[in-house]
Amino acid sequence: MAQEKIRCLLAMLGTDVHSKGIRTLAQLLRDRGVEVVYLGEHNTADGVINALIAEDADVLGLSYSTATYLHYTHDLLDKMRKAGVADVPVMLGGLIHADDEPALREMGVKGIFGPGSGMDQIAAFLQDVTGKSLTGDASSST
Amino acid sequence: MSAAADVRGAAQITAAISGGDLRSAARLITRIEAADEAAAPVLAQLYARGGSTPIVGLTGPPGAGKSTLVDQMLAQYRAAGERVAVLAVDPSSPFSGGAILGDRVRMGRHNTDPGVFIRSMAARGRLGGLALAAADALTVLDAMGWDRILIETVGVGQNEIEILRHADTVIIVQTPAGGDAVQAVKAGILEVGDLFVVNKADTAGADRTVAALREAVEFRTHALGAEAWQPPVLKTEAAGGVGIRELLQAIDAHHQHFRDHPKQFAARRRSQARARLVECMAAALRARRGDDEQHDIFDDTIDDVVARRCDPQTAAKRLVDSMS
Repeated sequence: MAQEKIRCLLAMLGTDVHSKGIRTLAQLLRDRGVEVVYLGEHNTADGVINALIAEDADVLGLSYSTATYLHYTHDLLDKMRKAGVADVPVMLGGLIHADDEPALREMGVKGIFGPGSGMDQIAAFLQDVTGKSLTGDASSST
Repeated sequence: MSAAADVRGAAQITAAISGGDLRSAARLITRIEAADEAAAPVLAQLYARGGSTPIVGLTGPPGAGKSTLVDQMLAQYRAAGERVAVLAVDPSSPFSGGAILGDRVRMGRHNTDPGVFIRSMAARGRLGGLALAAADALTVLDAMGWDRILIETVGVGQNEIEILRHADTVIIVQTPAGGDAVQAVKAGILEVGDLFVVNKADTAGADRTVAALREAVEFRTHALGAEAWQPPVLKTEAAGGVGIRELLQAIDAHHQHFRDHPKQFAARRRSQARARLVECMAAALRARRGDDEQHDIFDDTIDDVVARRCDPQTAAKRLVDSMS
């Protein structure tokens, strides 16, 4: 029986150093049974895309706490298209302003989880976009 | 799908992976991790053409500096023009089955380098199947044509140590904080190490740790004779890049030793193959289903042994017989 796990790449772009949120998310996702590939801060779009390919991640999560996220996300999604990995869904978290959500969705962002978002929402999103279920059950392999 | 279509599909994927298609290789490793039987025909083709890439394994306790060492090794190999693949294995949560695979954080500067391929793998609480999955992933990396392969694993349990059986050179990473050599002897890692590294050598007690390890290693190799490889004990400060050049020289010296002693190299390859065969057979047994496809024979046998309807030895014979 195949053991399917959701593999989620988590990263921050540019000079943003406020990683408390994404580190917290990494732990919460692990506790839901997700395999988190954690890249940490100070990544470039090219670096994230290379990691995305090598790790064969099902979904990419980015966290922002600075106002430059429109620029960074646009650049990343553009480069993802050029690299042929635009099929991997992208979700954003952190300080995302509600006014920017339409523009981000227009770019191709699939999930936006700003302040006040809950884990159930994020877990439901992950299962929806990956088509895999989160059991959080470690006893499946006898 | 028919068997012929299977073989054709496998040949296509094999050609793509050998031709350097990273995404095909990455997806195949995902199939391997999921224990998907669809990977088997591709692996059979890749295995046939592999075996020439030197594989170096690193293990040690959490926080010993393995990922930082790998990062520094990558930097030096890249400076010498060598293309390197890394398989980084981390534990899964025994409670949720999830994992945080964070080894890449230490190697972040190589993310943009097409000469480096890093793949993270979670242990997934497999009953001994981890080493099998890792070995199959190594077969994929081997077929991709990298100059070297590094595999990194936390040395916390037998599963993780088993992975190292697939490496040609095994590096045991310790720190001065890791207790005296008695701890290393207890852990049973002296026997598998080809090289010993005391990392964080700038912290107190480093020389004592080195001396204690040397004594233990020499005590063991003394009995093996003059022709045997003498595992060196090296000091490094991975974060500062100190001692890395010497570490790479020691790895090369170990490869040279195998070239000079082909019988020892053949013995290593035989023990690798033996370990892998045993893992494959165990996996095949675990995957056995009853004729109705509903009953898991392995599970049923466990029930019989727990209930003392059958003793373990007889049960094992019954399982093996059921395979023929």
